[in-house]
Amino acid sequence: MRTRLHHNFDTYAEYIMLVLTRKAGEGIIIGDSISIKIIEIKGGNIRIGIDAPRETKIYRQEVFDRIKQENVEATNWNLDDLDALSANLATRTVKK
Amino acid sequence: MKKIMTRFGEVEYDPSNVITFPEGLIGLEHLHNFIVMPNKKEGPLFWIQSVDDPDFAFVVTDPTNFFFDYQVNADEEERKKLGIGPEDDYFVLTIVSISPEKEITLNLAGPILYSPVTNKALQGIIEDSRFDTKTPLPKAEPAQ
Repeated sequence: MRTRLHHNFDTYAEYIMLVLTRKAGEGIIIGDSISIKIIEIKGGNIRIGIDAPRETKIYRQEVFDRIKQENVEATNWNLDDLDALSANLATRTVKK
Repeated sequence: MKKIMTRFGEVEYDPSNVITFPEGLIGLEHLHNFIVMPNKKEGPLFWIQSVDDPDFAFVVTDPTNFFFDYQVNADEEERKKLGIGPEDDYFVLTIVSISPEKEITLNLAGPILYSPVTNKALQGIIEDSRFDTKTPLPKAEPAQ
């Protein structure tokens, strides 16, 4: 199957990632409207506070990746399967 | 009417019936425009076909057919993206996967919100461990 993932981060491998060291209480400003603050570092966990405009989409990476992966996998179906499953489900009753 | 060639054959569609995802799907941001394909078989499953890239088609269903208490509440920002007001209705749809074992699972973590008024849609993310990207159907009730 042909895929074109315009926002596949792998394609940005040629870019060099900016790496900064921050202490608890310090922050980073990104662009004009996003600021990130290191709230607390405790036992291997880092609590991060993010200030961004409401329309900025912010997700945990693994959740985003799972949905992206599922979207790609969900295109791999064929019409025969759909027909067969539809026939089965048509007779199924749902308790409401 | 317009025509596209899909892997299911040639499909003719009315451009005014195209559903637009202004932001595309998650991880597939180039897929903005879909048409709803009528299912030949009776049942709750139908599919949406990408117009932008004919290789992409998704089986979708109304999740409340299977999970009657499943709800997705669009926030102000999502309503804005759908082009609807605070009181307007929208539909919630779920993408269906068909496993190699021919079992179907629902992506309850990445629901599609759709406004029939504006024909706009978006895919949201629900961060709730009860709702998995591959949620199996609940066990069917025994016949009464």
